[in-house]
Amino acid sequence: MLKSASDGTSSTQSRPGGGLEQWAERHLRYLMLAPTVLILLALTIFPSLYMFYAAVHKISPNPDLPWEFVGAGNFARLLSDAQFHVALRNTIVFTVVAVTIEFLLGLGLALLLDKFIRRLTFLKTVLMVPMMLPPIAVAITWKLIYEPQFGVLNEIMYRLGLPLQAWAGDVNLAMFSIIVADVWQWTPFIFLLMLAGLASLPVEPYEAAALDGASSWRQFWDLTIPFLKPVIAIALLLRVMDALRLFDLVFILTGGGPADRTKVLSLYIYQVAYRFADPGYAAAISLFVLFVTIVLSTWFMKRMRLAD
Amino acid sequence: MVRKLFLTLAAAASALAISGAAWADITVLVPSGSEGDGLRAAAADYAKMKGTKVETVQAPYANVFEQGANAGATKSGVFDIVLMDDPWIPFFAENGHLEDLTPFFKNAGLEGPDNDFLSKSLAICRNPYNSGPYVCLPYVGNAQMFFYDAAKYKEAGVEAPKTWDDVLKASKALTEGGGGRYFGYVFRGGQGNPVVADFMPIFWSYGADLFNADRSKVTIDTPEGAAAMKTFMALRDVSPKGVESYNANEVGTALAAGTSASSINWPNWVATFEDPSQSKMVGKISYSPIPAGTKPGSSEIGHWTMGIMSASKNKQEAFDFMLWATSPEQIKISAERGNPPVRASVFTDPELTKQEKFRHYPVLMEAIQASTPRPRHPKWPEIENAFGIELSKAVAGTITPEEALKNSQTAVEQITGLK
Repeated sequence: MLKSASDGTSSTQSRPGGGLEQWAERHLRYLMLAPTVLILLALTIFPSLYMFYAAVHKISPNPDLPWEFVGAGNFARLLSDAQFHVALRNTIVFTVVAVTIEFLLGLGLALLLDKFIRRLTFLKTVLMVPMMLPPIAVAITWKLIYEPQFGVLNEIMYRLGLPLQAWAGDVNLAMFSIIVADVWQWTPFIFLLMLAGLASLPVEPYEAAALDGASSWRQFWDLTIPFLKPVIAIALLLRVMDALRLFDLVFILTGGGPADRTKVLSLYIYQVAYRFADPGYAAAISLFVLFVTIVLSTWFMKRMRLAD
Repeated sequence: MVRKLFLTLAAAASALAISGAAWADITVLVPSGSEGDGLRAAAADYAKMKGTKVETVQAPYANVFEQGANAGATKSGVFDIVLMDDPWIPFFAENGHLEDLTPFFKNAGLEGPDNDFLSKSLAICRNPYNSGPYVCLPYVGNAQMFFYDAAKYKEAGVEAPKTWDDVLKASKALTEGGGGRYFGYVFRGGQGNPVVADFMPIFWSYGADLFNADRSKVTIDTPEGAAAMKTFMALRDVSPKGVESYNANEVGTALAAGTSASSINWPNWVATFEDPSQSKMVGKISYSPIPAGTKPGSSEIGHWTMGIMSASKNKQEAFDFMLWATSPEQIKISAERGNPPVRASVFTDPELTKQEKFRHYPVLMEAIQASTPRPRHPKWPEIENAFGIELSKAVAGTITPEEALKNSQTAVEQITGLK
């Protein structure tokens, strides 16, 4: 298209009445971009701006009452809201513990199976199954597993002569139970990324290190980890971002209880927005989560550049 | 080529518009489960009989509130009728989402709903409670009952439990002899709505309530509240480990499987308990009104009611459908579909009462007449959440029962602005 324009062979000359076509050709790049820009505006930019607008208003569930501008009032509420503090603490605990375990297990499994995986494609498929399942199905499955009277886990405990546990109902076990379910579902994701990373490692440095008599541990620490750093950063970034918006497991397994021990930010935002009909405050909490996610992402990206 | 594409798109859009308009004359938002299924079946009958197409949109319990509230707040008019749980009525009515039914009754030549409806069923449909105009009509007559295994209770030395002390005596003996696999009592201890729903009848049966009569003062942290909490904690101690996360399904399953001897429960579980494919306890579970504490027992009313959304564009058609669906004939059909009735004539209909599966009707009618509504407050969902957190903490043992009452008092005062 550009070629014909630069040739000086105008389409209007070849096709009378083609002014529109000529205009379209001149602006083709913008026309091609327009659908994407429109979709972005409709689905991302507008909702984000609207959320900012909502976050500085008190919004009544009564449509006849106007939105009341409260400025930073909704954000100030965050400081004194005990339920928000509980949800924030629980979210941090969940994110740190779950992502750490998932990373260590995923990396460990990948290292273990790296050499054999090509021969064990069936095993690879089986390991992928949990992350393919819809989160709601995973949550319901674990609810049945954890059920104190009829669940399979307590049946095993009973047959082994071990004390029965209220897995999702015990204040000391509820968060642990949610973490176990999340680790079961998302360790394969880390495993898959690590496996891809390991497959892309260059062979020569390892051969040189082996000639120099470097142990497997030294090779792992001095070669594998530095080579894998970008992959590790991406894996952790994606998992942390996802863990910060944990909802399904908590909603189905515990509803935030017992005693608020599993109330996380996403569940609290949902409650504030839909159960308490206070979308302005919910928008402020959402913006806080967005801010934390952006800060974490930026930090991760910088780390990745350092690794490069 | 482009012209052809436009023509095709235009034809498709027209077809969609026509079919969309013809899709339904009125749209009803209903919950999943027997209540929604019953109304969906009624809607299909209505379409056949009257030619008015009624589309039902089913959603899980919590989502019905959210979708209804969202439709109300945005004046979308997407739903003409919402089948509401009765504690939601003040929220919907006081935020202008519900239509006052008075002019529709007048147009129909009626003063209001007829006297065959139970008085407690009608009282919740008025806003303010029992005094204001009707904003909905009752459809499903839920009120909690006390369910117990009479044979097991007899073994434990209690013939028919009349008081919470009777329940505790039998439950303690049964749990102690149960070897960790059988329990005298079971309840919904899950944080939020579940634990509040199972605590309220005990709360009331000791003369306690969340507010005083004119709703000007929060009255949770009182001697009456403390007495109720003491019984609740004693019941927890004879219940299975894990009730801290239990909701209706877990409690119903424990009773149907015969691993727990008693509980407070909703009447729609009777069908499950009497179904041999789902229950080991067919014919073995007895029903009674809520036991007494220091005051007569009172169950929580939990009716499903139909209201017209203010933004509806088909209000008259919606009212006609509601009036038809709540008629004696239709409430009887609804009862046969498994939904407890709201009319005295259906509760006492010999065709129903002679059937074994409706043997709980006299008890249920008594329970509805002696029931108490959850506090009629537009911020009830928030109040229930705060109270539910503190009750959950007490059940889990992270705070004392006294702290739970004190914290609940403070939290509800903050939410409502009352002192």
